[in-house]
Amino acid sequence: MASHFSGVLQLTDLDDFITPSQECVKPVKVEKKQGKSVAKIQIEDDGSYFQVKQDGKLQKLEKAKITLNDCLACSGCITSAESVLITQQSQDELYRVLRQNKENNSKQVVVVSVSPQSRASLAARFNLSSTDAGRRLTAFFKNLGVHHVFDTGFSRTFSLLESQREFVERFRRSEQDKKSLPMLASACPGWICYAEKTHGDFVLPYISTTRSPQQVMGSLVKTYFAEQQGLTPQQIYHVAVMPCYDKKLEASRPDFYITQSDTREVDCVITSGVSELERTQSACTGGSPDAAWSCLCDRRFSSVCGNELMRHEGSGSGGYLHHIYTYAAKQLFGIDAKDISYKTLKNKDFQEVTLEKDGAVLLRFAATYGFRNIQNLVQKLKRGKSPYHFVEVMACPSGCLNGGGQIRPLPDQSNKDLLQKVEELYRAERPLEPEDDEHVTGLYDTWLRSVGEDRARELLHTRYHAVEKADSGLTIKW
Amino acid sequence: MKDSLTALCKLSGHPDSRCWFVAWNPSGTLLASCGGDRAVRVWGREGDSWVCKSVLQDGHQRTVRKVTWSPCGNYLASASFDATACIWRKKDDDFECVTVLEGHENEVKCVAWAPSGSLLATCSRDKSVWVWEVDEEDEYECVSVVNAHTQDVKHVTWHPTQELLASASYDNTVRLYQEEDDDWVCKATLEGHTSTVWSLAFDASGQRLASCSDDRTVKIWRECLPGNEPGTDTVGSDLSWKCICTLSGFHSRTIYDVAWCRLTGALATACGDDGVRVFREDPTSDPMQPTFFLSVHMPKAHSQDVNCIAWNTKEAGLLASCSDDGEIIIWHYQSEA
Repeated sequence: MASHFSGVLQLTDLDDFITPSQECVKPVKVEKKQGKSVAKIQIEDDGSYFQVKQDGKLQKLEKAKITLNDCLACSGCITSAESVLITQQSQDELYRVLRQNKENNSKQVVVVSVSPQSRASLAARFNLSSTDAGRRLTAFFKNLGVHHVFDTGFSRTFSLLESQREFVERFRRSEQDKKSLPMLASACPGWICYAEKTHGDFVLPYISTTRSPQQVMGSLVKTYFAEQQGLTPQQIYHVAVMPCYDKKLEASRPDFYITQSDTREVDCVITSGVSELERTQSACTGGSPDAAWSCLCDRRFSSVCGNELMRHEGSGSGGYLHHIYTYAAKQLFGIDAKDISYKTLKNKDFQEVTLEKDGAVLLRFAATYGFRNIQNLVQKLKRGKSPYHFVEVMACPSGCLNGGGQIRPLPDQSNKDLLQKVEELYRAERPLEPEDDEHVTGLYDTWLRSVGEDRARELLHTRYHAVEKADSGLTIKW
Repeated sequence: MKDSLTALCKLSGHPDSRCWFVAWNPSGTLLASCGGDRAVRVWGREGDSWVCKSVLQDGHQRTVRKVTWSPCGNYLASASFDATACIWRKKDDDFECVTVLEGHENEVKCVAWAPSGSLLATCSRDKSVWVWEVDEEDEYECVSVVNAHTQDVKHVTWHPTQELLASASYDNTVRLYQEEDDDWVCKATLEGHTSTVWSLAFDASGQRLASCSDDRTVKIWRECLPGNEPGTDTVGSDLSWKCICTLSGFHSRTIYDVAWCRLTGALATACGDDGVRVFREDPTSDPMQPTFFLSVHMPKAHSQDVNCIAWNTKEAGLLASCSDDGEIIIWHYQSEA
């Protein structure tokens, strides 16, 4: 099976192969039972293992299981976590939950959070506007039995606001703290995974602690929304629709697992290109009356104005550079920097923005997409030659609109043309300034204030963990 | 007079270790070698013998697998199993490490400079091929990471005049790359070998490419210009290369290296059966279906596997080989033609 992960992850061996010198080094915990150390094991036709006891009775042996988390915690990774992912995080899992809801009385409230990039991808595929694609997707999910459909553009507003504040705070302490700048964006899980595995303690302090939109939505849904609805986090099944396979890895991080409730903040991630979603084509273009297939997502957690969904200014990868730049220019230097001109450096995936005053550079930001540019960025950092204050780092060339989970081009379509179309549709939605979202401001004033500063920080920020290189006897060195 | 191969000089290149690779500088006056002792050595001629002029140490933590000269002759690049490549600058008679290229996930297997000297390629067990660009201040930036191969990439080499890159892999294929829209892309896959392809060599014109393999054959591939020739073996429409000759039955073990003399057109091979062989093309054969004959065979040229073979860049017939036994041998090849 071909791997769908971003190129960055494929290079760090999170892929579907076992090379001769890389074997799984995960120590499997064996539940030891009292008894003699010699045992006879019998393998049945179906592949199950039985221990033959001395009295001749058979006892079925448990399988040693390696979970996605084990894989993520291991630097000398093994087989792709993909098979694990496919069972834990696929549309089949969503359908299973929905089916259970129909068959049993014990209901889980099913929440789906759709990313703006996925909306744009579906819009391009079915010749709709992004908002229309969002409406039809909402109708499609509701028809399946999903209870609430949200928009991660809404949680992205939190991410942007938090990133802006974090940047200004880091900038102000950069004199004392050499590791405070450049601040590196944190929304891309492929980049995070790569940084943790390959550059560990060196790079991690530079990475913004702000949660990605997916994981802010996780906080919103499993804490605030759960409380509002009088539900436990476990009673909610939260699905995210994302442009990216690596988002599945993000959802499985232990940092986003609510231990006391034994549940994840995001239970399942499915991608824009999932065949089942593509099948909404029939729903989208079939003979159904428009009204039945036009259902705006729940306003509770969505960036909407009137009947239209909103976007954020800047790149299709969330616009982090744009927002942090304008905010910082204003906050730090009192400059209104509304016109941002991007200068292309080595290639189109390496762009630079500078704020100058009287010939002096006040701020130097960059957008760095794709593995090759990440390499150069990291090497420059290591040599102390990075001139940047902030870098919007994304693992995929062209960023999230070109994510590995987006819908593939049709046979007669080039990827370039499709990407252009997706970008146009994404940009066609009206922009919303994060500061102008009264609903978000309201949640800061009520919900986040009520939980206290530390808890609010936990809900909106996260931590990173360097993965130590495993030195195993199996990693042959010569 | 018969074709002959005479050993001029034996050098204990990398004692108690393997000697992996040797490379002549562009002016043909110096030979660089590298080995399992993690060192690079540079050898020069003094009278009738060859002596070690400098030892490049402390650049690498593990085996140095390949070494290569920049087209200007002022730099050396070394590829190591420590996952890095080092760039060394010549300073008087010595060399200093100016840059360490990091980024590959694991063992770097080969490094090669483009004819312009402004691009460098590296390849690795991590299955990727990287293209680097160097500026006037010796700063290297990665311009592309290409994941075309499905296995360990053993070798990279550049076309002698164009910006065309070729790589050989454990996945049995040879791949060709060109730049397109500010990125490097695989433009052709040469399929035909049935086992690991270990090394590659372009001829002087760059119209033909020789590949050698664990399948004990050498294949000669030829560029087919668009619309001209039917029946090409390449996959991918941009570049067409066709296998026009297979040398089989001559080697009893893996062929680790092949070198195409840009002065005489003679083709030399380094083999796991410890032998060195030189082939010549029958000048009367059809250029589209050439015939190569074995000109000389030196069995047991070394006491162990021969890892590399290199023709001197200026002096026709001067040949260097190196082996797992740690030795380097300088040969003189003479043909009646």
